[in-house]
Amino acid sequence: MASPLPQVLLDGLFAGGTYALMAAGMALILGVVKVINLSHGAFFTLGAYVAYALAGRGVGTPLAAAPLAAVIGFAFGVFLGKSFVNPVRSHPFALPVGTLACALLFEQAAQMVWGPHPLSVAAGAPWIGPGGLVIRRWGVIAFLSSAALLGGLKWVLSSRPGLPLRLIAEDEEIAGSLGMDVEAIRYLTFGGACAMAAAAGALLSPSGAVTPTMGRAPLLLSLVVVIVAGMDSVAAIFLLSIGLGIFGNACAWFLSPQWSYVALLATVCLLLSARPAGIVALAGRRD
Amino acid sequence: MRDAAPSRAPKVSLRGGTPPARSPWRGGGWLAAGIGLLLLFPLSSPDAFFLDVFTTGFLLAAFAASWDVVGGVSGQITLGHALPFGAAAYSCALLTSFAGWPLPLAVAAAVLLAAVVGAGIGALSAPLAGPFVALLTLALGEIAHEVAVGHTFFSGPGGYAWGGEGGIPVALPWRDASPFSSYYAALVFLCLATFGMLLFARSNSGLILRAVAGSPITAQASGVPIARFKRLAFTVGSAFAGAAGAGFVLHVGRATATDLSLELSFQAATFAAVGGRGTIVGPAVAAIVLHVLFQGLSLPPSARVLLYALTLLVTLRFFPRGVAT
Amino acid sequence: MTKTSGSLFRHHPFLIGSVALFLYLFSSALLPAPCLAASLPDALKIGVLAPLSGPYAAGGTSFVQAATLAVEQVNSDGGVFGQPVTIVVGDTQGRVDVAKSEALRLVSREKVSALVGAYLSEETMGVMEVAAAQRIVLVVPVASTAEITDKVRREYTRYRYVFRVGYSIPQWAEMIAEFLSDRKIHRYAFVGAGIRWNLELGETLERIVAPRGITQVYTAYYSPGNPAFDTVAVAAATCSPDIVILADPGRNSVSFLKRLREAAPALPVLSIGGALGDARLAASIPLSAPIYVQAAAWRGVSLAATAYVERYEHRYGAPPVGYSDTLPYDAVTVLVAAWRKAGSAATEAVVPVLEHGTFAGAAGAYRFDAAHQALWGTGPGALHGTFVRWERGGARIVFPSR
Repeated sequence: MASPLPQVLLDGLFAGGTYALMAAGMALILGVVKVINLSHGAFFTLGAYVAYALAGRGVGTPLAAAPLAAVIGFAFGVFLGKSFVNPVRSHPFALPVGTLACALLFEQAAQMVWGPHPLSVAAGAPWIGPGGLVIRRWGVIAFLSSAALLGGLKWVLSSRPGLPLRLIAEDEEIAGSLGMDVEAIRYLTFGGACAMAAAAGALLSPSGAVTPTMGRAPLLLSLVVVIVAGMDSVAAIFLLSIGLGIFGNACAWFLSPQWSYVALLATVCLLLSARPAGIVALAGRRD
Repeated sequence: MRDAAPSRAPKVSLRGGTPPARSPWRGGGWLAAGIGLLLLFPLSSPDAFFLDVFTTGFLLAAFAASWDVVGGVSGQITLGHALPFGAAAYSCALLTSFAGWPLPLAVAAAVLLAAVVGAGIGALSAPLAGPFVALLTLALGEIAHEVAVGHTFFSGPGGYAWGGEGGIPVALPWRDASPFSSYYAALVFLCLATFGMLLFARSNSGLILRAVAGSPITAQASGVPIARFKRLAFTVGSAFAGAAGAGFVLHVGRATATDLSLELSFQAATFAAVGGRGTIVGPAVAAIVLHVLFQGLSLPPSARVLLYALTLLVTLRFFPRGVAT
Repeated sequence: MTKTSGSLFRHHPFLIGSVALFLYLFSSALLPAPCLAASLPDALKIGVLAPLSGPYAAGGTSFVQAATLAVEQVNSDGGVFGQPVTIVVGDTQGRVDVAKSEALRLVSREKVSALVGAYLSEETMGVMEVAAAQRIVLVVPVASTAEITDKVRREYTRYRYVFRVGYSIPQWAEMIAEFLSDRKIHRYAFVGAGIRWNLELGETLERIVAPRGITQVYTAYYSPGNPAFDTVAVAAATCSPDIVILADPGRNSVSFLKRLREAAPALPVLSIGGALGDARLAASIPLSAPIYVQAAAWRGVSLAATAYVERYEHRYGAPPVGYSDTLPYDAVTVLVAAWRKAGSAATEAVVPVLEHGTFAGAAGAYRFDAAHQALWGTGPGALHGTFVRWERGGARIVFPSR
């Protein structure tokens, strides 16, 4: 290998894909249901456990586990959306706290079912690219599926079947007066986004360890992406996620791995305080 | 189904609740009764453990109330409120153990530092709106936590490091404080701090802050210097959080990275959501009740976490604005 | 006006409910106290403190499982002084305030005769204060900070109730250094979670191995919050060390090892701190290069260790990882052996026995030095620990080669 820098940046690209995968579902919920969903990481964990359980029963590939995880995630998501999120959503402060409680509930349930110990699904060998570049299999899958998911989201939102979603995001009173079942669309959207998180968790389960609290780590940076980029611009979510991933790895490489997270967070703070008007203007359309 | 949709269009906004229109001393009877019960409680000769749980509960209650000054009264949802709490805790520990300052001086400096930290957070977040305040404070809190976990100080004689996940001890002039004196000290501190915060919330500044929380544009149009008042809210709330942090570290004897953690910030926001945002007393009462219920009854760990999460969900489902509102 | 009074009335039930709750709490605190004082405990109790919820629950759970196993073993041998021994568990949640409070509960309410715990350094420091104030024996299994033994050395009369069964950082470094020499390793990389005990262990190891001609060619720590695995793995491989020492007791060690295997499949790894001693985890990592695990004891190092591992596997369905379970097991075993030798569970009788006696555990014979630190390391009579290597069929002991 000539210089490890291209490798580090490529890995950053893949890390960004993971953030985007989480951020896509959160952005959909924030846009349509207008709720910050802090239980999104729990659905990611749920998907990973589904993949682990299937791997133990001989289903080797997480690609097969993803649809099952999505169905389970959808069912739980619709239940949560219908019984908690919809009734409480006119109180924007109760919801992040409530969804956080859901995440706690799930983490504890997972610990009771599968035990607190880290579990692992075999990762398989990576592909070797030109110049000895290591192309991590699960990194590629994260990157491609996040691109596909966000592309699909953009397509749905701009096409005819996505019209109700856009209308509700824009003005729910008009949507209601046009005869749309706003409540149902909300909990179905919530369920759909949760299904996306669970599928992502299943897909990425081999890349690390599966533990009850594994969903906490990617949540924070995805939250940063979603709040800064908003739902209006799907491309912004993708680019921001990828940018954060590459920037984080570059910081780790050039500065120090121990402080790369701090550098990332400090950059977010700087961006927020240096360009409040720009970012607020971007978000203003959503508000 | 469509009829169930709330009529007033709920846009996503994390701004403050409506200012409660009520006389300042309403509910004072209940409060006095509660304080009376808490004052009498140690006479029922509880064991040291139960007193310890209450002591911690009082300090967390003061912390939750101080969150409410920022997050409730002035509507600036902060998710980094552990930062002034932990900053005061760490400076208490560092000033007494490293610099050898006398404790009262260290505590005063710690509270002052927390206020300065709060003013800084306020200055940074004043131009921001809604969820961006939450994001900025979250990021600032995480930075402080990361530094506390990853940074070590070398202490002289022992040859081992201080800091990191092991934390830093506080050099206390007393040893093995009696659980009774800790209990009463924390209770007195909580009453004084809550009284101070209530005074602030009901002062002119507090009223203006409620107006800023309700509608920043209206407030600005009426000539209110919004940025200055937001800084004020952060400064006052953080000073009280710092006082709670100093009290906490005196009780526990050690400043650790959990004093700066996101979990602690979320905990304060949770108490406020359950107790009722903007009421100061509500979050404090919620903190005591929830803490004593879930730490004091020595439930099995898994049952404790499940019950805690379910209690939050059920409470927020039926009292989405908090039980006291 | 009517609206306000209406809402007050509406919430009366809650207020009444909360007052009722408080009254219940008072009565529950009131009633048991006289009963406890009146009756003598009919069993000897050991208080076990470990995190059972939250991010450290994995280590804490195996901690409590092993302690339970040790007590069951004691009771099947007839108990102590003809009485059965029971354990009472406190969940520390990974927080020093909760650890202190739970320690108080075990001592003041459950009337335990001794404490075993806690898991993290900061929890242990908090529990140590409770043990000192209440004059009760505390046996520390895993927390490795030098602050514990330093306090015993400096303020012996206050902290003489505290004994550490697990290895200190210099002892740990000494065992690793011996292993590196034995494997003829000259260049190593030290990576791990960016927390205090790792930073200390990395520095101590570098100092200890220098005279042996072994150099540290790369060192990096990743933040536990958002670990930069990729960069550390790539950079470690670039320095071409003979081995990578991975210091992380948690789940991140698995994630990091997977990245390292992708970045440098032929690089051997030594895992310290436990997590990779789990056979199920090791099975998911490619064995393209050796994976070594450092443990306090392993199946096959002695009869006692083999018996312990088999009982553990039989009881919990999976073998122990050799660190966060084996050391708590030995902590309970040593404590009970000291009770038997002292003929009493009274603190003042047990402390001198622990100070001067030798106690058999799964990892070998424990003796304590003046700072109440168990003797681990490479010296004569010290506990050696063990290093194993994962292979297709399971783990093989590679060091010490006996």
